[in-house]
Amino acid sequence: MGNAVGGANAASYFATRTGTTNIVIYEILGSAVWMTSWVVIEDVGAGIRDEQIKGTLEQNFLAPVNRFTLLVGLSLTDIVITSALFLVVVGISVAIVIPSSFLTIVPAFLTLLLGLIPLFGIGFLFAGFVVRFKEPYIFIQIVNLLFATLTGTYYPVTFLPYWVQFLSGVLPQTYVIDDMRRIVIANQTLVNLYGSIFILLTLALAYPLIGYAVFRKIEKRAAVTGEFSKY
Amino acid sequence: MNSRNTSYSLRLFEEFKASFLKDLRSYFRYPAWIIGEFVSTPLWFFFFALGVTLFAPVASTSNAPGFGSGMASFFFGFVFIILFSTSVWGVGQSVRNEQTSGTLEQFFLAPANRATLILGRWARIFLTDSIIIGYTTLLLYLFGGTAVTVLNPPLFLVSLALYEISLIGFGLFMAGLTMRIKAFNSMGNVIFFGYMILTGALFPITVLPTPVRYFSMVIPFTYLNDAMRHAALGTPTILPLILEYAAAVVSSLFMMVFGFVSFNRIEQDARVKGSIASS
Repeated sequence: MGNAVGGANAASYFATRTGTTNIVIYEILGSAVWMTSWVVIEDVGAGIRDEQIKGTLEQNFLAPVNRFTLLVGLSLTDIVITSALFLVVVGISVAIVIPSSFLTIVPAFLTLLLGLIPLFGIGFLFAGFVVRFKEPYIFIQIVNLLFATLTGTYYPVTFLPYWVQFLSGVLPQTYVIDDMRRIVIANQTLVNLYGSIFILLTLALAYPLIGYAVFRKIEKRAAVTGEFSKY
Repeated sequence: MNSRNTSYSLRLFEEFKASFLKDLRSYFRYPAWIIGEFVSTPLWFFFFALGVTLFAPVASTSNAPGFGSGMASFFFGFVFIILFSTSVWGVGQSVRNEQTSGTLEQFFLAPANRATLILGRWARIFLTDSIIIGYTTLLLYLFGGTAVTVLNPPLFLVSLALYEISLIGFGLFMAGLTMRIKAFNSMGNVIFFGYMILTGALFPITVLPTPVRYFSMVIPFTYLNDAMRHAALGTPTILPLILEYAAAVVSSLFMMVFGFVSFNRIEQDARVKGSIASS
């Protein structure tokens, strides 16, 4: 595709814009973060929908279990598997393409794990959305596509118009993708990236709190209106 | 004789209209899906288009997202893909949808021509696809600052008509296949990705390795995509121009006849075996 657009110099045009000639790793890191975040948001959000369809949502909510742990628990298996897959796929790709950077996978993976925390918060918002509007899948698809477009999955976010870059700035994946590229491709350390790590920590605190608060509010209203049993 | 032909044509038109309106009503019944389709389709385009822009010549884009000739070609590739998916997932899957919702027998028992019933669905999807393509073009102009233009509109319309004729034929073939093969989505995915890679939908087949190019050359859609891209952008054709359009006409007629014949044969076979309704 790149050759069709840029001809024989496609790789050098790519390097001019991204600062690296390593197209494969650049794109794989973006794709891997996108796919992992898709799983987190879909699983946390749609986990409730599955319980609703199976008719077991009320039993789950009646159990003496914290909602927070319930929501996280519903999706944890898938997330652990996806994260492990991420580690294997990215690990093998880096080992083949830039073997000297193989160990950078460890800090890169830590960045991903940190970035998953705010995604749980977004998942909680979806869980509330499911309780209220029932049909989550099409909206999950739209949101994940928006995230892919806004967070620099296949290109640097500086490519986007300024006002769109502002939206990119409040999404955790933007920092995770950029940091991982810097760590794996440019050999930077987590210490060098303290600014974006600090932002990720802030988002990791803010998103789950906001998401959970919204979910609880919708849940309380649903308990009054009897929304739980409808699907 | 003439009046009999006229009344037959009128009946076919009425059947087509009824099928189109039925599909339109079903479509409006699920507003969430409409929103999803109208938002996600242009998003997919912008998402991939921005990725592809990374490889475009720097001078033409001032190191920023641009939509030069490469992007215009990519945009038409996006149009071909939308229209092709209509054939695979729209027309083809219509039979499968009726099958899974348990209404296929009623559908086939109606005193109407099967093909017009399926064409009604094609017409609805073609309408919504055209709207989506139209407003994506507008968004491209607003956000990318580029107006997509067609170099030779009459030739483009002829090419598009040929492409649509073959899509209907291919859709009918796919619709027939769903009566025989139930794992429609897996089959549809294989065909869809094969189309994207082998027929020059997104990029000219000249970038494919030579042995793969031979496969491309025997797929009718290769010539139809190439003819449309030539009419729109003036790109060089695979074959000499006259030969290319002759190949496109023959391909689309072949696809149409092949689609009708295979659909009818599979349906007859399914009636005998009782497999029409098994899902």
